[in-house]
Amino acid sequence: MKKEKSKKYRFLQISRISSQLLFFALFLYLLFFTRFTGEDTIGRVEIFFHFDPLLGLTTALASRAIFAAFWLSLITAVLTLLLGRVFCGWVCPLGAIHQFFSFLFKKSRLHKPRKLGQSGLNLKYLLLLIVLIMAIFAVDLVGYLDPFSFLYRSFITSFLPWLTKINHELLSFVYQLHLARLGDYWNQFLATLAINATFQQGFLLSLLFLLALSLNLARERFWCRLLCPLGALLGLISRWNLLGLKINKEKCIDCHLCTLQCQTQANPYPQEDWSQRECVYCFTCASICPTAAIDFQLGWKAEPVPAINLSRRRLIFTSFLAAVATPFFKITPARRRSHPDLIRPPGALPEPLFLQKCVKCGECMKVCPTNALQPALSEAGPEGIWTPVLKPRIGYCEYYCSLCSQVCPTGAIKELTIEQKINVRIGTAWVDKSRCLPYVVGASCIVCEEHCPTSPKAIKLVRTETKRPDGSVKTPLAPVIDLDLCIGCGICENKCPVVDRPAIFVTSVGESRSETNRFLLELSL
Amino acid sequence: MRRREFLKNLAFASFMLKMPGWLQAQTPSWPDIAWVEGEDPATITRKAIELLGGMKRFISRGDKVVIKPNIGWDRTPELAACTNPEVVRALVEMCLEAGAKEVIVTDNSTNAPQRCFPRSGIEAAAKAAGARVLLPNPYRLKKTAIKGVWLKEWEVFSDFLEADKLINVPIAKHHSLSRLTLGMKNWLGALGGARNQLHQRLDEAMVDLAAFFRPVLTVMDAYRILLRNGPQGGRLSDVRLQKMVVAGTDPVAVDSIATTFFDLKPEDLAYLPLAKERGLGEINFERLRLEKRKI
Repeated sequence: MKKEKSKKYRFLQISRISSQLLFFALFLYLLFFTRFTGEDTIGRVEIFFHFDPLLGLTTALASRAIFAAFWLSLITAVLTLLLGRVFCGWVCPLGAIHQFFSFLFKKSRLHKPRKLGQSGLNLKYLLLLIVLIMAIFAVDLVGYLDPFSFLYRSFITSFLPWLTKINHELLSFVYQLHLARLGDYWNQFLATLAINATFQQGFLLSLLFLLALSLNLARERFWCRLLCPLGALLGLISRWNLLGLKINKEKCIDCHLCTLQCQTQANPYPQEDWSQRECVYCFTCASICPTAAIDFQLGWKAEPVPAINLSRRRLIFTSFLAAVATPFFKITPARRRSHPDLIRPPGALPEPLFLQKCVKCGECMKVCPTNALQPALSEAGPEGIWTPVLKPRIGYCEYYCSLCSQVCPTGAIKELTIEQKINVRIGTAWVDKSRCLPYVVGASCIVCEEHCPTSPKAIKLVRTETKRPDGSVKTPLAPVIDLDLCIGCGICENKCPVVDRPAIFVTSVGESRSETNRFLLELSL
Repeated sequence: MRRREFLKNLAFASFMLKMPGWLQAQTPSWPDIAWVEGEDPATITRKAIELLGGMKRFISRGDKVVIKPNIGWDRTPELAACTNPEVVRALVEMCLEAGAKEVIVTDNSTNAPQRCFPRSGIEAAAKAAGARVLLPNPYRLKKTAIKGVWLKEWEVFSDFLEADKLINVPIAKHHSLSRLTLGMKNWLGALGGARNQLHQRLDEAMVDLAAFFRPVLTVMDAYRILLRNGPQGGRLSDVRLQKMVVAGTDPVAVDSIATTFFDLKPEDLAYLPLAKERGLGEINFERLRLEKRKI
């Protein structure tokens, strides 16, 4: 028999790799432009999310409201309905990363492909089921495993900061070599990119990203095969797709190479075992087949496809488990009383609704010009891990900026114009008189007042009598907060010269979005 | 090398400042202060420099010039928190026309510089005029002996130390601690480190800095001035359209003139008499030769 590989599928394979590169480049481009570029408004840098039907579905289920921008995900759904999971194989940038690492691991012999049948593949369907059932009970967990949330969060809180740190290591080396001019240009370029490189939990989030990448050592595209709930959803939609695999039995030499090298364990050989639910149409099998026996054909198939290997008992049990598990998320005191440190970005919806919509993607953390928005740990309860909180000691809310509200892909942060934004309170500042320099030693220090961005200023300077340690009395100007005017931006806390625990600090009380987290009914006394 | 250049500049600057009588005996007698009022910020800036003898008097061919505007805040020009971009543009153009090799425009902003530089309009204006606009570069910070009476040592961006000529372009604004923030206070923007700790003895710090940074020229932008809520304002009602530029070689004198816009006297600001005492400049208007124009 003549041994010749298929040129057509080699071409399709190269096209697919080009498509992956293109979408990955687009992802990077949009990510790097998720920053202040001189305009008050930013384009739709978050558009990738809107092609994700899983995010659209779960946020709609959890928040009982449809976010219009997700109409784009219908395109993905229809595409999948017709052609199967081409989105996973040709578009998804996280899929591309996983595949790239799988490729590296295979080439370097760190990973040796094995024949696996269909084992383990059900996990992602169970995860999808859990996410959907929980969403019905208004607990939105999709952000932890959705590929776009995971990808953006990982890039924003670990990869880009890592890249920035590496650049700074090299930069200081460049300056040590007295290549000042080169260093200057390099530094200017870095500064222009405005990458936020300080994140609490940055180490943990980096470990999770590395773990996801290293899973490719165990199986090729481990994430896509076993974990990805979006892949599972698209797999279910692709049940009736038109693009089918055909093996020419006369040419086939039963070498099993196709099944061995299949990226997603779709078992091309024998043809009856091929699972179109798992296939991402990467065309590796058809391209490497030594006798060009594999072909993909458009056409309606009459024969039934193999069912997902999930017993009804297991489905019911998982659904039941997910349903009864929801109360666990509500034991937290976060639901009874607002956490003082839970300062949400301006425009954030009231807390329960915010948690039902936020997908923890980190876009707001990327675009924040002061690095103020940080992934939450315990402030917002278990569903709120990695949702954005403003940490005034790291950054503050820039007065004339509403970018975070514009890049939120699900509307968890309501889009605001600048005029709307400057009237939103995200918290209230308080003076700690036991640490504030004018109150403690009678020193003149007006730093908080100087930085207060509102006009008239929310921090007033009032002459105050201070007893100094030696018993003498001084009358410095000391800060007093006008609760009517404070918007809680946190620049006072950020700039306070009492570095470790600032003498002026912001807590969430008084935030516009809450009807309960208040302290006075009538602020004007 | 840098040190030598710096000392040279210092010598040159003090020469220019301290011996005007001797100098003016040979050159046509230039005024100490040019004070121009008019509709267009760039035109009045050009006129003011012209009255002082033209930019060639201050900038020599091949000079590396650093222009220090106030780009401290994330505010657009009409809010008068940062120097007027048209004033900066005019100065950059004049320096290049006078033969400067390179003009750098930089400031260590208080808000995020990536926002202040574009939103103040200064980045675009200065770049269009041919300047290099530098975001503050932490690698260029250098622990420097200020040798002040109170401020002995602080981190300074070395762009300011390596320049052949410095031009200070502040904007006149209200400030709750020093009452007004003018040219001398503008030098805080050349510093890094925990600048907010300098506020504890701000007047002394400002005088020490004014003694350290010796600009060949101070150009006070008073096209719009900030009357309240300084130093960043926020409402148009905090701003007054003054339509003036005050330029001069004596930084203390320029600041002193600017106090009049706020119905104050130089003696009302603690740091101006202090600077005068230190011999940094003149606060008595009668001893200054003023050239006032309206165009």
